[in-house]
Amino acid sequence: MTLLRRYGTLIALALIVLTFSIASPGAFGTVANLVNITQQMALLAIVAIGATLVMVLGEFDLSVSAVVSFAGIAAVSLFGTGVSLPIVLALVLAASLAMGAVSGFLVARFAVPSFIATLAFGTVIGGLTFWISNGATLFSGIPPAFRDLGRGMVLGIPVPTLWLAGAAVVFWLLLDQTEFGRRLYAIGGNREAARLVGLPVRRDMVVAFALCAGLAGLAGLLLTARLGSAHPTGGGGYLLQAYAAVFLGMTAFREGEPSLPGTLVGAAIIAVVSNGLTILGVPSFLQDVMTGTIILAAVLVRQFGRAGD
Amino acid sequence: MTLDDRAPPPFLALQGIVRHFGATRALDGADLVLRAGSVHALVGENGAGKSTLIKTLSGLYRPGSGSIRLDGASIEIGSPRAAEALGFRFIHQELNLVPHFDAVGNAWIGRPHPKRGPFLDHGAMRRRVAEVAARIAPDLPLDRPAIRLAPGQRQMAEIVRALMDEARLIVMDEPTSSLSEGEAERLHRTVRRLSQEGCAVLFISHRLDEVIELCDAYTVLRNGRTVGAGRIADIDREGLVRLMSGGDSPDALQRSPAFPPPRPSPTRGEGEGRALPSGEGEEGAAASMTASTRPSPPSWGRDGEGGGPVPYANGAPLFFADVAFGPANTRLTLEARGGEIVGLYGLVGAGRSSLLKMLWGATPSSGRISLGGKPLGDGPAGRIAAGMAFVPEDRKREGLAMSLSIEANLALAHLADFRTTPRLPVPSRGRIRAFAARSGARLKLVAAGFGRSPATLSGGNQQKLLFGRWLGRRIRLLLVDEPTRGVDVGAKAEIHAEIRRIAADGAAVILATSDIEELLALSDRVVVLHAGRPVCQLRGASLTREAIVDAAFGHAPGHATPEISVRTA
Repeated sequence: MTLLRRYGTLIALALIVLTFSIASPGAFGTVANLVNITQQMALLAIVAIGATLVMVLGEFDLSVSAVVSFAGIAAVSLFGTGVSLPIVLALVLAASLAMGAVSGFLVARFAVPSFIATLAFGTVIGGLTFWISNGATLFSGIPPAFRDLGRGMVLGIPVPTLWLAGAAVVFWLLLDQTEFGRRLYAIGGNREAARLVGLPVRRDMVVAFALCAGLAGLAGLLLTARLGSAHPTGGGGYLLQAYAAVFLGMTAFREGEPSLPGTLVGAAIIAVVSNGLTILGVPSFLQDVMTGTIILAAVLVRQFGRAGD
Repeated sequence: MTLDDRAPPPFLALQGIVRHFGATRALDGADLVLRAGSVHALVGENGAGKSTLIKTLSGLYRPGSGSIRLDGASIEIGSPRAAEALGFRFIHQELNLVPHFDAVGNAWIGRPHPKRGPFLDHGAMRRRVAEVAARIAPDLPLDRPAIRLAPGQRQMAEIVRALMDEARLIVMDEPTSSLSEGEAERLHRTVRRLSQEGCAVLFISHRLDEVIELCDAYTVLRNGRTVGAGRIADIDREGLVRLMSGGDSPDALQRSPAFPPPRPSPTRGEGEGRALPSGEGEEGAAASMTASTRPSPPSWGRDGEGGGPVPYANGAPLFFADVAFGPANTRLTLEARGGEIVGLYGLVGAGRSSLLKMLWGATPSSGRISLGGKPLGDGPAGRIAAGMAFVPEDRKREGLAMSLSIEANLALAHLADFRTTPRLPVPSRGRIRAFAARSGARLKLVAAGFGRSPATLSGGNQQKLLFGRWLGRRIRLLLVDEPTRGVDVGAKAEIHAEIRRIAADGAAVILATSDIEELLALSDRVVVLHAGRPVCQLRGASLTREAIVDAAFGHAPGHATPEISVRTA
């Protein structure tokens, strides 16, 4: 029982992979497909890593999907005015970070509930994105070098997978192995205690929100690079899935805390389910039903585990 | 009121500290002089300014005027970090650990962590904490998350954290209020060790016996002002109470031998705000005093001498429970008669609170629970319908809705009683307001306004609010858990009076408390739990402090029998 409780989510992932491998051995269980899954989960996982940082604080950032959409539209618009690639990347990432910092500031300084602050600010960002794009899908003027950031292979590994691996390592180190990470957990665990021992609570919160939005911006850039176009609601699907990944991950490790490895497991479950069901030819609305059911099941298993304590 | 001249010179002196909050003067000329290695008691009723004074020391509040001198030099404490740098450590009333961190993680919060390159060196972190823990709390589990530590262990984890760098002053705000006797004794040993190491300890406690036993110096605050300071050796409990209360508190009155206890009377409202003993001094005396002060309930009489079996007027008990309980699910039977106060005692973890919650229907139970011969309805709602009332242990977490007004909190448990018309579930504000005014007056609730949040009330008044919730309806069984934790002497006496009044009205009362004085003062008999089992039942002459503590540690005879054995003195 303890084993199931501790590693239940990992076991679930293994079981899901096993089931699909048996159901369609020729298509799902191949190395090529598994590599493909890491590519499919990459952008979702990057957004989810950002959401994890904020969840560690015990807060939500509901503006992530708006930032993903914004980053793509902003990048393509800037390309259209002839700005060079490195400058575009720097500007878009800086804008994303700044947006997160604003949310973080509202939450940390004025104690606005993050749910509301980021919902409202996300709406603002969404509106700006529509305004910039006139509501249209943008695809002209994207340099091929930019497109290479989100597609193709390096050393046989899909480029998005590499981005995900890089982000995962950097943020795992940041969250688990640095003082900053310990401080975020401390603030999330007991904010008053953190304040009383003199931790820079507000600053750390602003930084965490900024990093969250920064990662969403990165995901938006990679999405646009992969698709070769940007749509003002292109990031819409990421919000719920990213938090689903974090919640699944919270059931995977430690005592129900958000953690980086957990989030990766959560994102993997979502990606595997979607990939496997697609291969089996299940219509996409049923896939949503399945994904939602799995998340509920994971949380319920955890609750029953708790009741036994 | 000056300290002894032979003592070492003070290292920290606060003088004439004044601090306003709007129009209220929280501190109005507070002085505090601390010597290295001294265990210094800071006492005063709730609202006397102790918390504000501590927050001034910890850099959270800046004094409006007054001086703070450290080693003779005038200083300012601008922030919690500055206080930390001066070697001041604070162990606050609400424990300030990060729940998911273990003792090691908690100890390092807010400190530069040992590192290898840019990354944390977990091995070095643990070694350093283990060193400190070995000195102070050798058996503290270092790898267990704080939420899974016992209250006493959490406190030890906080002390370990406080001692990670050299500390000159450790301030402990009510550290023993949530501890069992055994844990408190351990804490006392730790405090003495700190003092031997030359660290000053500022010890805030409402338990005056503890203060007298543990501390060597004291400062008394009243209305934000220092009204007395000196060596504990030169003062006794009565002296401290007189200083705290200004000489005319109920507590001071009732302790004066010249003041006879009031005559027992069955009238409702008797003893309102009156002196009531909380059982100090010799146990026998306390027991008989209790008996004579207690208004005689209508259902049964009592000779007041203590010692004899309690005579019951009629056969069947009002309340009867026979349930599976404790880690081994052993059978536990408990009964209570109308007008009777049954004390429930046990060390922390013995299961007092979980038993009460089970009786209240908040957690599932298997077995039989009946009131007035009838089985009870499901859940708290069923219990309320049957005439039960519950005052939970943790008033902030389990008792009050801080986002609601005081009057809304009062009406919360039986909203249906306040309907505008009986058929429509629409509460009438007027009725609620009238009820709040009535309950408030009976309990002497001190509030700026009943429309405000209970967070604006002092701890004692919050506690009264929890009792007020049940007034105005017939209570047949009252379950009370730790009714006076962190409550000042005056409010404590009033709460005790209320519990007695409820019993005098014919209700059975089951009272769980870790305060033995309170137990002795209020209970007709005491059931002691040990590790989820009732070990023994004490009453009359056998009801002494020693017997209770003995039994709580599991030393009583008849240990294994779920049927309670009566211990004879």
